[in-house]
Amino acid sequence: MKNFKLYLTILLVASLAACKPSFEKPQTNTSTADFSKYIALGNSLTAGYADGGLYLEGQQNSYPSIIAKQMQIVGGGSFTQPLFSEAQANGSGYLKLTGFSATGSPITVTETNNTAVTGVTAIPGFGNVTTYSKYAGTELNNYGVPGIKLLHVTLASYGNLNGFYERLLPGAEGTHTTPYLDFATSKPFTFFTNWLGNNDALGYATSGGAGDVLTDKATFAALYNGVMNKLTAAGQKGAVATIPDVTAIPYFNTVTVGAILAGVQKANPAVQALYISAKSSADVTNTTYAPRAATAQDLVVLTFPTAKIGTMVSSPAGMVPYGLTPYAPIENQYVLDNNEATLAKDYVKAYNSTIISVAGAKGIAVNDMYTFLNDVKAHGLIIDGVNLSSNYISGGLFSLDGVHLTPRGYAIVANEFIKAINKQYNSKIPLASVSAYRSVKFP
Amino acid sequence: MRKVILLLLACLPVMAFAQGFQVNLHGQKQIGMGHTGTGLLQDGASVLFNPGALAMLPENYIQAGVSPLIFKSGFNPTGTTDSYYTKSKLATPFTFYGVWGPKQSKFKFGLGVYTPFGGLTDWGNSWQGKYTLESLDLKAIYIQPTISYKLTDFLSIGGGFVYNHGSVELTRAIPLADASGADGQARLKGSGHGLGWNAGAFIKASDKFTIGLNYRSQVNTTIKNGDAIFTVAKSMEANFPQPNTFTASLPLPSTSSVGFGYTPNNKWTLALDVNYVHWSVYKVLAFDYGTNTSLLQDTYSPRNYKNGAAFRAGAQYKAKDNLFLRFGGGYGITPVRDGYVTPEAPDANRYYFTGGVGYSVTKHLDLDLSFEYERVLARTQTNIESNLSGTFKTNVYIPGISLAYHW
Repeated sequence: MKNFKLYLTILLVASLAACKPSFEKPQTNTSTADFSKYIALGNSLTAGYADGGLYLEGQQNSYPSIIAKQMQIVGGGSFTQPLFSEAQANGSGYLKLTGFSATGSPITVTETNNTAVTGVTAIPGFGNVTTYSKYAGTELNNYGVPGIKLLHVTLASYGNLNGFYERLLPGAEGTHTTPYLDFATSKPFTFFTNWLGNNDALGYATSGGAGDVLTDKATFAALYNGVMNKLTAAGQKGAVATIPDVTAIPYFNTVTVGAILAGVQKANPAVQALYISAKSSADVTNTTYAPRAATAQDLVVLTFPTAKIGTMVSSPAGMVPYGLTPYAPIENQYVLDNNEATLAKDYVKAYNSTIISVAGAKGIAVNDMYTFLNDVKAHGLIIDGVNLSSNYISGGLFSLDGVHLTPRGYAIVANEFIKAINKQYNSKIPLASVSAYRSVKFP
Repeated sequence: MRKVILLLLACLPVMAFAQGFQVNLHGQKQIGMGHTGTGLLQDGASVLFNPGALAMLPENYIQAGVSPLIFKSGFNPTGTTDSYYTKSKLATPFTFYGVWGPKQSKFKFGLGVYTPFGGLTDWGNSWQGKYTLESLDLKAIYIQPTISYKLTDFLSIGGGFVYNHGSVELTRAIPLADASGADGQARLKGSGHGLGWNAGAFIKASDKFTIGLNYRSQVNTTIKNGDAIFTVAKSMEANFPQPNTFTASLPLPSTSSVGFGYTPNNKWTLALDVNYVHWSVYKVLAFDYGTNTSLLQDTYSPRNYKNGAAFRAGAQYKAKDNLFLRFGGGYGITPVRDGYVTPEAPDANRYYFTGGVGYSVTKHLDLDLSFEYERVLARTQTNIESNLSGTFKTNVYIPGISLAYHW
């Protein structure tokens, strides 16, 4: 019996070693890019803006921070973000979902406690600028500034016009003179991501073509070349992303003409059409707007107060129901009409061909978010057993503002960047686990 | 020895399936010989391996055994350095067999209680595939009264009726975050039963050569009105009405076996078994909920298993009159097609080695120890339904012990 005990012991010990399966770790030294100092340039998407605001949780789940975390596994350096403090974790304030109405519409409120807002300053010739608690750290890697356009990156006074940029700069509001591009590239770096340019079209689109203008295509190309020349001046590698089709986001696809009309017709079956103030042609120089019946190609913004429809308003023809006659059409700022949408799409395409050709000429990785988000809109996306889509709230990708992403959405963006980087530079940055990041929070 | 056992507990066990959900741990003597036994006359385990062999058994048997499974599955998502492992849980497939017949009678009666299918896996609620599965505890206990009749000196037949008590408890995360960002969870829990049969024939072709044929039928097990418990954020509760029920069925497949035994001298016994498992009946895993909503639809997940097979060989050496040494091994072909591998049964082709020791404590009492090491080959897959993509690896080792009283 004694020998068998021995045999049994040997067997047990042998299988102990085999008990937990192991997996090979990737090699870290294959990359032609150096991830030791990564900086991220971009707008709200880069800053981690979500739910209509910039707040701590959003910052902590920004796609550059996710990329940096994954880079660190293969030797990337530390990555510092201009985080709001815990005491001011709500940053600029943001939208929270509090429930659903009887008809299933989401009800949101704006979180206004524990914000980082320090005041409002009137800037002569511009208007009021909300300012936030300064970022006090000396290290900075995430230069995402909500609201910034490519058009702004060389503007010396921009620090005075955007509170999110202002809080990164030393000195008092009203005295800033450092252009964004100079600030972001003032310290040495080895790797960059650049996702600038969205707001050059998005600002026009989200204001229904009324409150903003599209950045001229040639101006965009010149600025983009300038940015990329500066970013690669010392031979740095990096990745850029294309600009999503502005009509691929739930901000324009949730409150539809058909849905509003169906709601009106429930109470008043005689109503035939909604009327909008629409651009007469898709020519950028044409500024003529005229009322016409809305079609499915006209995109109503997510923030349109649908309760206004049918309320009696005064018009040249007397008191008429709002939105239901040509005399009181839905105002321009609520609708990206067919011609405006065509124009915005055309500009985005032109911007993207600039981005792709400039990056291609410099051998820089391209993350084609335009194609990716159009695919998601057309076919949805299944990752790790979760069905994702471009739908508002239920889709899981977009946050409550219908423009910016959820942490899960940002993790997917980070992975698309990582895939593009790995492909371009033969690197082995591991992908992030998408299911570890949340979608919209439900109360 | 004590230290070894402690170490062993530290990396404790999880899941209990051999191919798909099949568990092939049916008797310590047979495990020791690479799971062969269809064509042998070893002991009461013939109730399962081949009811046709009972009438040829020289003695009556009462025996019981247990084979605790020590099991670890790992998952490495594609393109990552992450690895996730199943939690340590102990699955305890067991066997009980009784065989009795009057001396000189051509009849023998038997009863078997055993666990031919099951699964116990717990990936936890924070792994990458949590929306496909957090944990699964699937048990099937077969109870099989059996009768066997010796037609001639060289041929006996037998058959048994199978009653299966099955139970399942499955949890998965629901991708709806609550106010703190935590996922919702679905928990499906229920039990049911199924019926089947087991029949075989045993042939003594010569003094040295024996042949066994066995067919264990499919057992459709349906779980009716199990509890469907959903935990979601308050504002979502109306979409997941409570209480709710579910109905699901799992077809436990039939197994056809042929086995050969060869006794060249009184020291050695050699055996060979081939199994063919009709897993192709497992087409779909469907959950039909008692109350549906727009967010809670019935689910219909294709499984499309193909038939699986296993090839097994083993030997027994009689070292002393009261001491037997056994060893064996085998290879199993997975029933799970590419694209259909799921974390509930991260299956792949596998090979295994077994060993065992038999000791006659007294003339009437056998103590048998068995040990099995099983390696499920690494399999890199993207599931067609969930897109969960990565490499599964599984190691299993299974000690076991049984006592058999015979007279």
